[in-house]
Amino acid sequence: MYSEKKVEPMKSLSTPSQPEIISLRNDTKASRQRIKQQNRKAALVFWCFAGPLILGLTVFFYIPIIWAVVLSFANARATLTPTGFVGFQNYIDMFKDSAFTSSLGTFLLFALFIVPTTFAASLGMALLVNSVKKAQGFFRSVFFLPTACSYVLASAVWRMGIFSGTDSGLANTVLHLFHLNSFDWITTPTPPWFWLVLVTVRLWLQVGIYMIIFVAGLQEIPRELYEASYVDGAKKGWETFRAITFPLLRNASISVLLLNIIAAFQAFDEFYNIMFGGNLSLARPPLVYIYQVAMFNQDFGHGSAGALILTIIIIAFTLLQGRFLGFGKKD
Amino acid sequence: MATLVSQSMRPRPHKPKLTTGKVVSAILRYGTLIIMALFFLLPFYLMVRNGLATEMDISSPQWSFFPGSLHFENITELFSDPDVPFVDGMINSTLVAVLQTTGQILVCMLAGYGLARIPYRWSNTIFYSVLLTLMIPFAVIFVPVYVIVSSFQWVNTLQGLVVPGIFSGFTTFLFRQFFLSFPHELEEAGRVDGLGYWGIFWRIVVPNSGGIISALSVITFIAAWNAFLWPLAVGQDSSAYTIQVVISAFMNSQNVNMHELFLSTAIAILPLVVIFFILQRFIVEGYKQSGLKG
Amino acid sequence: MSQNQSSSNSFTRRRFLQYSGGLALSGSLLAACAGTGAGGGGTANGNSNLPNLTQWYHQYGEKGTEQAVRSYAKNYTKANVTVKWVAGVGNAYGNSVNTALLGSSAPDIFEQSALSVDQVKQGLLAPLDDIFAAHKDDFLPASVKPFTVNGHVYAIKMLNDPTFIYYRKSMFQKANITKIPTTIDELIDAAKKVSAANNVKSIYIGPDAGVDALHQIAIWASGPQQDLLSADNKVIFNTDRVANMYLKIHELNATGNVLPDATDFWWSINPFLNGSVAMQWCGLWAMPQVVTALKDDFGIFPLPGLDAQSDPATVDGGWAEMVYAKGKNVAAAKAYVESLWIDNATVQKDWNVAYGFHIPPRVSTSAQTDKLKTGPAADAVNILNKYGHSATPYWNAAMETYLEDAVSKILKGGGTASNAKTLLDQAAEKCNTELQKEL
Repeated sequence: MYSEKKVEPMKSLSTPSQPEIISLRNDTKASRQRIKQQNRKAALVFWCFAGPLILGLTVFFYIPIIWAVVLSFANARATLTPTGFVGFQNYIDMFKDSAFTSSLGTFLLFALFIVPTTFAASLGMALLVNSVKKAQGFFRSVFFLPTACSYVLASAVWRMGIFSGTDSGLANTVLHLFHLNSFDWITTPTPPWFWLVLVTVRLWLQVGIYMIIFVAGLQEIPRELYEASYVDGAKKGWETFRAITFPLLRNASISVLLLNIIAAFQAFDEFYNIMFGGNLSLARPPLVYIYQVAMFNQDFGHGSAGALILTIIIIAFTLLQGRFLGFGKKD
Repeated sequence: MATLVSQSMRPRPHKPKLTTGKVVSAILRYGTLIIMALFFLLPFYLMVRNGLATEMDISSPQWSFFPGSLHFENITELFSDPDVPFVDGMINSTLVAVLQTTGQILVCMLAGYGLARIPYRWSNTIFYSVLLTLMIPFAVIFVPVYVIVSSFQWVNTLQGLVVPGIFSGFTTFLFRQFFLSFPHELEEAGRVDGLGYWGIFWRIVVPNSGGIISALSVITFIAAWNAFLWPLAVGQDSSAYTIQVVISAFMNSQNVNMHELFLSTAIAILPLVVIFFILQRFIVEGYKQSGLKG
Repeated sequence: MSQNQSSSNSFTRRRFLQYSGGLALSGSLLAACAGTGAGGGGTANGNSNLPNLTQWYHQYGEKGTEQAVRSYAKNYTKANVTVKWVAGVGNAYGNSVNTALLGSSAPDIFEQSALSVDQVKQGLLAPLDDIFAAHKDDFLPASVKPFTVNGHVYAIKMLNDPTFIYYRKSMFQKANITKIPTTIDELIDAAKKVSAANNVKSIYIGPDAGVDALHQIAIWASGPQQDLLSADNKVIFNTDRVANMYLKIHELNATGNVLPDATDFWWSINPFLNGSVAMQWCGLWAMPQVVTALKDDFGIFPLPGLDAQSDPATVDGGWAEMVYAKGKNVAAAKAYVESLWIDNATVQKDWNVAYGFHIPPRVSTSAQTDKLKTGPAADAVNILNKYGHSATPYWNAAMETYLEDAVSKILKGGGTASNAKTLLDQAAEKCNTELQKEL
């Protein structure tokens, strides 16, 4: 019954996925009526389910966020009590601060690079892992293992074990095998090899978890769909991937993209730990700069303003991808 | 062939045949996977290799991929170092991670189901406000959160380490996405049997969500185990150090103790590796279940 | 918090422990939970008539330091002092202190490496003039200046850490270098010679071309009256002499003999000890290791000056004790600080030289310390006394970022004197904006 629909990839994004079709069929008019009558009861039930979370988020997120918003319009040095309101001055100062704006620029580029790369790598690995019959669990485990390592520790391994600029680093030991000289991976501004270090550690740490999300999505695609399309003459490979696999991975793709974008803009630990001291100015993420302003310098007014600018950028990017992919839609 | 068909319970349009093309493609796929797996395992090897080396060897120009000798006495040195509460750190981390995972899965699963299934006019607004918490960099609300937690007198306590980490927009989001595609007819069957939302949730939804629960438990446990910034601020005294905080001691400003750093890193991820390999089968089973249901 | 809730908490914890026997080992954390929170646990004497004090130390790297500070606290009879050994790499400890001072469980006594003028203005720090004024002359001016705001002193130095260049005597001899470099040109020359003669890299100044290690000290070494901020709070580091000094360090980097990166940062002496380099920028703290490894085959000298008109320079770094002004027992806290770092020379000597190597900030104490009377250790004391500098408290983390960014560009990129001066001018302008917010 699905095989009649030869869906175009773009169109498929707005086509309800399979479980939603079922839900449309089953939501009869009568049951909708009943739901309307029980609205008040539903609200109570809803709060039974979501209440604990919302309470916790209120204490540990919403109040601090509102606090930060207030501080962003105020003078607050070495105190969390505003000592005089300054309007938008903190925001203006941050936009005038070349260290902040250049780090925002660098990280727009970083996000444009790392998000598609991580997405493609994790999807590719999921397809590859899912395509083999033997030792599937083993490979899945191996690719997921780096998730067990914290950013701080992975940074230490990358900085001190793999990409150190001396003869003792793994990367340079490999270069010696090819009779090349030791290379200074992290500290030279040109050519910017430090990006290779930063990108590989991020991929190593993150790809596994996104791959698992994709594998989960892949395993939920009913096999009948493929079989029906083979009957219709579709070939294994790119054709079925385009017509069936990718469209039905919509939910997984949305999750992976969203988490990826947020993670890219919130980059912190590996930069902070690998690009130490005078190297940090080569690639300083906005969050690290905000952290320096708010934590080292105790300037919570400017720190909060910078943080909110960053938050607005993250939200803007999320909404943008939502426009294209219809993220978060219920039906 | 006959056994194969009867096992899979489904008629197949094509009988699987071994052709040259298939063999080549299988070799290519396994080859790629094996090479990638080696790359992914390489850093783990380095942790062990450098962890069992002498301090001088790690940074010496004569460093080689396969060391001449392994110094297993480093392990006893690490565990018997009176300045490094390594065992206490492992226990504290276990305690924190177990409690945080249990709490987070419970709270966020309930909320995720509510957001996905219960018709309530504000539920979308609330969902977006939950998503918002994902986008706020934690390092930024860090100080206000600390002030709130310290006003509860929770500094240097277990609840201070555990409770703020329970409420996760991330886990809620993933649960909601999962419940959105949960088959309606199962819940409908429960409704016919006279169950309310609560009953449906506990009797039908939860038993059928083993895959996602174990998957998210693993992720949550890992995040709790690896948390650093918050335990550092709240677990101020050496009695309340988590393992990440203990390990950071090897990077202290005057003396980077590299062989202990590498070795303790390797040991600290060992419990996670074991947990993951055990739960791995379970997760796979869980996903297979949900695949059959669709 | 209601009694009900806390008792149910301890109930679940007990249950939890019953089901997992081995976890009982972690009793200290659990005890802290079951107790009153911030005040519980630790090594207090437990005499209820005495005031209770909480004291914070950062995690020192030297073996035995934690036990040492806990024993100082235990031996003090006029207060119950609870020591917290607070973790944190780099700036993390300072952040923990700053954050704690804003919350409800701030320590009464804590160490910091720098003073925040903003914290003084917020009334978070207690002035220590009453215990310090009489002994001020027994401290180096550079040990007092960073902690003085408007004539009041807010911290007392516990240890002094000068930094300098370690060199191998045998390698210098092999290269026929008989005189220790006294100008930066002589250092560059010596670097070339020692590297060629011994077939090693010449010097290690950190993985960032020396930005972190040298950006402040280079200013002081560039000539008399050269500083970050002036005494009357003006930004003054953007001079031609400073620009030239940074360019000289770039020249040193550009010789190709400098070790560009090591597994360790500059504060770990390993590259020097494992034979990668003939010289390394490091601190006094590393000297015990060097003595063990090289016996007397090493010497030290400070960062050479720019030319004949300038002196060499080092930093009077280290840690200083402060008192939280809003604590419950400020007077008792001050009394404890006085007993440790003013009165008790035995504690000061023990703390400074029994575990690692530092210089007791009281000049009279450091003069009596036997371990600092001979050899390179005595040289270190001399270098600190003669060439030790420090920044004013108005120099803050934001200015540090602006200066480091500019210096990073000069040290790595080089360029002409006017380019370097322009970069410094731009940084100085930003620093000035920041300075105005503090005044």
